[in-house]
Amino acid sequence: MSGVAQQVDGRRSRGFLPHRTAAALRHFALRGTAIVYLGLMVALPVAAVLTKGFGDGFDAFRDAMARPGAWAAIRLTLVTSTIAAGVNAVMGTMLAWVLVRYRFPGRRLLSTIVDIPLAIPTLVTGLMILALYGPNSVIGGFFDDLGIRIVFTPIAIVIALCTVSLPLVVRSVQPVLQELDPAEEEAAATLGAGPRTTFRRIVFPAIRSAVVAGTLLTFSRCLGEIGSVILVSGNRTGRTLTAPVFIFQLTSQFRPAEAAAVATLLFAISFVLVLVTTRILRRKEAAA
Amino acid sequence: MPRWVYSRLGPALFVAIAIVATACSSSSSNASGGGNCDPSASPKFINFVAYSTPREVYDAKILPAFVKLWKTEHDQTIQFTESYAGSTTQAQNVVNGQPADVVALSLAPDVQTIQDAGLITHDWTQAPDGGMVSSSVVVFDVKPGNPKGLKDWNDLTKDGVQVLTPDPAQSGGARWNLISLWGSALRGDVPGIAKGDEAAATTLMQGVTKNVIAYDKSARDSIQNFESGNGDVAITYENEVKTAQAAGGDDTAVYPKGSILIENPVAVVDKNAQKDCVEDIANAFVDYLHTKEAKAYYTETGFLRSTDPKLAAAGDPANGYPAIKDLFTIQDLGGWDALDQKLFSDNGIATQAIAQGG
Amino acid sequence: MSTTAKRGARGGHAGILAACLLYVGLLLVLPLAGIVWTALKPGLHIVSDTLREPDVRHALLLTFQIAVITVLVTTFFGVIVAWVLVRQRFHGRSFLNALVDLPFALSPVTVGLACFVLFAPGGWLYPFFNARGIQINFALPSMVLVTIFICIPFTIREVVPVLEEIGLDEEDASRTLGASVWHTFRKVSLPNIRWAIAYGIALSTARAIGEIGAVLIVSGLIQGRTETATLFIFRAAEERQLPQAYVVALLLAAISIVLLLAIETFHHRQEREMHSA
Repeated sequence: MSGVAQQVDGRRSRGFLPHRTAAALRHFALRGTAIVYLGLMVALPVAAVLTKGFGDGFDAFRDAMARPGAWAAIRLTLVTSTIAAGVNAVMGTMLAWVLVRYRFPGRRLLSTIVDIPLAIPTLVTGLMILALYGPNSVIGGFFDDLGIRIVFTPIAIVIALCTVSLPLVVRSVQPVLQELDPAEEEAAATLGAGPRTTFRRIVFPAIRSAVVAGTLLTFSRCLGEIGSVILVSGNRTGRTLTAPVFIFQLTSQFRPAEAAAVATLLFAISFVLVLVTTRILRRKEAAA
Repeated sequence: MPRWVYSRLGPALFVAIAIVATACSSSSSNASGGGNCDPSASPKFINFVAYSTPREVYDAKILPAFVKLWKTEHDQTIQFTESYAGSTTQAQNVVNGQPADVVALSLAPDVQTIQDAGLITHDWTQAPDGGMVSSSVVVFDVKPGNPKGLKDWNDLTKDGVQVLTPDPAQSGGARWNLISLWGSALRGDVPGIAKGDEAAATTLMQGVTKNVIAYDKSARDSIQNFESGNGDVAITYENEVKTAQAAGGDDTAVYPKGSILIENPVAVVDKNAQKDCVEDIANAFVDYLHTKEAKAYYTETGFLRSTDPKLAAAGDPANGYPAIKDLFTIQDLGGWDALDQKLFSDNGIATQAIAQGG
Repeated sequence: MSTTAKRGARGGHAGILAACLLYVGLLLVLPLAGIVWTALKPGLHIVSDTLREPDVRHALLLTFQIAVITVLVTTFFGVIVAWVLVRQRFHGRSFLNALVDLPFALSPVTVGLACFVLFAPGGWLYPFFNARGIQINFALPSMVLVTIFICIPFTIREVVPVLEEIGLDEEDASRTLGASVWHTFRKVSLPNIRWAIAYGIALSTARAIGEIGAVLIVSGLIQGRTETATLFIFRAAEERQLPQAYVVALLLAAISIVLLLAIETFHHRQEREMHSA
């Protein structure tokens, strides 16, 4: 009997364990490793923050949000992230279009440049913005003389957020655009449709979920941004203080419970969005 | 080689060992026990944790001088690890486990915090000058020419005046600033405020915090925020302005009539120093800070008025330390405990003023 | 399309292209040029002068150490997780999947806070490590841990789609022909996912080098000890040593560009693998 079992699938048992047992062990060893890894490295820290923030009820959250500038920080983060997401939704889609459909010298270079924010430290992005738009710089000085301050205002925050999240929509839309058969658009053109109608009726419906997914990803990314914003915003309570910097301040003030409470709020908004994004992406892939 | 070495288990173990090895090697080289206690260890590390403003005097002058001195006297190589941030943040960090053998903080209560946590077990105030190594006064850092004509605390409550001062929950300098405001008002130094009128002093404080545009995380951050072009005035240490001027800035100091005598303590964190086996060196270092040589370093970087209040008040006008008309000490205001309770507790006047100022 | 329409279309095309170039120029090209100019304004010698400082050297070395450990861990375990997520079916698989996405949803400050809370006195893991004299916060381990957390999704998210799309048939064939699991993995699966892995490594490296928010909280800012390159830039700006700050920033930018080229290459190879399958 065992001899037959051992001949299953033409596999002989190697080593001293019967084949099935070895397979099962391997199976569970891998799964166990994955679970322990993610459990220790992801679930544990998140649980720690959640517990710290809300372990004693809503007190910490109430105290944190009662501080001057707390709600303003949340509002500012939401508003600037929305603006950046909106801007990049449009510009990102345009860039994807340009990179896929146009032919021009330097196209590969443009593609590479677009991906720079994926690689460059956000702190360096902040420094770049300071170097270019700070009061003592070429562009910033010019505007300063006109009475328009760029850095240390919400404008600088939006600029920073747009920069660090620039590639996200592009890379979400680009692959989908690439898959699109231009034949449909050409057919529409032959039938007399202008480029705008073609885009509206044929292209956009096809890339819509990619644009949405990329935009949500951008928004989520912007919610948590600190490296560039902390340099260029001036962190003025109630004016240019964003939620992540507020959380950082609470942590430096050794109010970890309050920091955790606000962090949980931010995370909840962000996580829901990321979940939605992955669902949309997966539905898109399933439909493809 | 057994099969499992080639399977995932082998590399997983290898990586795990690598990580643990790195962690262990770094913690021993972090001078938290272990390596430092080896008599043949060279260099011996001393962890120096300080507030944000004196980095120029310690990093460039005092620490190297002491390292050289120690080498000459004991033929032993020592090295300081340095960390600079807001005084209160640093105190809390040390309580929470940051390696620190010697702390140089902005004000005594921050050292007290570390003592209360059980890390300092000796009476550090028995050192010369009560444990204080440097002193300064509170000034207003304004733009060249003082365009808004700010002379005293009441000017800071005017409409349209944008004030910068650090966050009292993180920075020692922030507390000194508010204490100076409070003391000046109560002692009748501020125009329009009667002596001893606490209600008026409270209103004054609220008026100033209303005009604060940013509470930065340390005194250094605050003055740099001002230098970036934000705000009309930064309330700061006299020595911070001098440091900025030495670095080429156009910071201009305005001296209000009254000021608190800012005194900065240094103490050995003996529990840590014992664990790191550097207690003798740490003690020698703190002793050194009270010597004439060290005092010279402090003075030339703008730090040391004098720990004698009368001398501090007289200043040294010829050398850039104007006389202070009314210099008062923490003792004059009733001592740290009473003052901390009154101003910085959860219901404290300053805490409330900041919360309302928004 | 009539010629006028075509010309109009071309004009429209030019408009869109111009808008894109302007956007990218203002946000990326110009600032990059600005930092090069600002960094090198004092003269080229500033680069060698800065690189000679021990604090700078140490900061760069520390960044490198953290990046290496992070990439090793996240790549190794990332491939395992990706494999388990794609090739195995079990209860809680979607929960595991959600865990992988979590680091993207968290601000780095939250990660730093989590590490601080876990390992500070009173934290869940404090007694264990304190009893053994192991310093986590204000030392290398915490900085590595937060960076790993932040880089976890990269490899997994790149390998999963590849494993999903290709290879199952080949793997099955290989197993039927009698190859062991490990042999199959090494000779069949690994080649399929190697560009995805490389892509994930490049992304993780760049992210690890650029980390600032979390390490700002857990490092204790100990100069020459727990100060990464990004923390050095932060401090140099505070000490009014802007030239040094800009030089190191420029250096990091240059390294990122190199990584970026790697990212681009691996991404392309990965796409091609996926599509040729």
